[in-house]
Amino acid sequence: MKILSVLLLLISFSFSAIAVDTSSVKTPTENLPSTTPISAKLWLERLSQALQNLNFNTSFVVVKNNQAEPYHWFHGRDEDDLELEIFATLNGPRRDILRKGDVVSYIEPEITPYSVESEKISGPIPAILSGDISNIEKNYEFISVGRSRVLGRVAQLIRIVSKEQDRFGYWLWLDQESGLLLKLAIISLKGQLLEQIQFTHLDITDSLVDSLKQLKKADLPPVIDVPSTNKDHKLSWQVNWLPAGFKQIKANRHRMYSTKQPVEFILYNDGLVDVSVYVSVSDDEQRKVEYVMDGATVVLNQVVKGFEISVVGKIPSNTAKAIADSIGTSATP
Amino acid sequence: MSESKFEKVSSLVDNAHDNEQQSIELFEQLSIDSVLGETWSRYHLIGDVLRDELLSDISLDLSIQIAQAIADEPTVLAPKKAKLLNSVKAKIVQFAKPFGQVAIAASAAGLMIIGVQQNVAQHDIVMPSQVVQTTPLAGFAAPVSFNTQSTSRLSQKQLYIEQQRRFQALLSDHHQQVKLSASKYNGQLLPTLQVEDSPK
Repeated sequence: MKILSVLLLLISFSFSAIAVDTSSVKTPTENLPSTTPISAKLWLERLSQALQNLNFNTSFVVVKNNQAEPYHWFHGRDEDDLELEIFATLNGPRRDILRKGDVVSYIEPEITPYSVESEKISGPIPAILSGDISNIEKNYEFISVGRSRVLGRVAQLIRIVSKEQDRFGYWLWLDQESGLLLKLAIISLKGQLLEQIQFTHLDITDSLVDSLKQLKKADLPPVIDVPSTNKDHKLSWQVNWLPAGFKQIKANRHRMYSTKQPVEFILYNDGLVDVSVYVSVSDDEQRKVEYVMDGATVVLNQVVKGFEISVVGKIPSNTAKAIADSIGTSATP
Repeated sequence: MSESKFEKVSSLVDNAHDNEQQSIELFEQLSIDSVLGETWSRYHLIGDVLRDELLSDISLDLSIQIAQAIADEPTVLAPKKAKLLNSVKAKIVQFAKPFGQVAIAASAAGLMIIGVQQNVAQHDIVMPSQVVQTTPLAGFAAPVSFNTQSTSRLSQKQLYIEQQRRFQALLSDHHQQVKLSASKYNGQLLPTLQVEDSPK
């Protein structure tokens, strides 16, 4: 009996050093068994909860193409449970994204400000991170990798990896304490860093920050109606191959945003990534395929038999090429 | 051979000629050979200039030559850059000839100027594309790195600009469409496309 207690004492002694380290770590994540495969998903669910419910005030830089684009990001919920959010670029002309509940406003220098009725923001942070992560479970694996130090905090690295070799991987460093995002990197199939978002400061507050209080009082630009005819247009062509999990979001005929060239267009989404496919009549008969990478976003453009085909999205160029090459005339016009 | 002859003249001018016999022969040659004679006087002139012993009334009378050259020059109303450069170069060469060694430095300087100007001219071709690259036409689009295979019909530059414009337009339109697509009634997803297996 005595021996046993001495032994226990010894063991507890030898572990005390480790306990100091893990006790602070353990409290917020006690429901996360760190070895089972479930933990990575739980981390992402925790992130989603944190992004939806916490009052935070943070800055980050988007690093791509050897350029850094700084942003300020505010988020909070007021007493009436209304979600308020601001993304603001800090360099160059103002590009702000404001959100009040399910109205999202985009303020850009090129066009008059407008609002969209939507629950998700299409900004630098993938919308799925604050949504239901199980939506992408079918096509992506979540892997818990390990701990490191980011933004002076203890961070857990979670990888979101495509099950097929046709999409990029997303690496997320999450704050051990709050569960919030501290860093995000988009990694190519060869392990090359394409784009990253590094947070530079993070404040979690109990109440709304002033700018969000102001936003609450402000009138947002009018919500634009997206005509239903603009939604699901029947087109005379179709995409015959897409990576698994991509669904058609909309199909329409519109004029290009800046060149006013008329195009036929389908937008696909797999929960994480958006891919646009454009088809238009070209003056050229044939033009070789051209690619450009804007960070992780590939733009593919080619002319085949007098039709200009373009694919845009955060996908590898091989995938974009396969999508472009699979386009054929629609079987049922 | 003539090269060494000039060298001998040079050493004679500098009083550094040690062989008496040879100097006498050289003097004889100087009085016969007019080219050698000119060289002799030119070397002395150079020496004078270097020692700052030039007489004040020495006039190089360039003004007349220049005036003549200008008069001979045809009036060009819209000079082409390249031709202008050539004529400048030609003039410098003309200038240089009578001045021998002194002129070497001058012509080197002239060549440098031409070289710099040509460099600038080359930059003219390269620069606009860089400007195009860094100016996003619209949208979030940042400058983009690219790899290309270009065809031959239009000039490289035009092709490049057109291509960049295309890419920027696609990028900004993509962002725009994604923003609009977030609209609420997209929640009830539209019918899934018949996805067949990969033709990859």
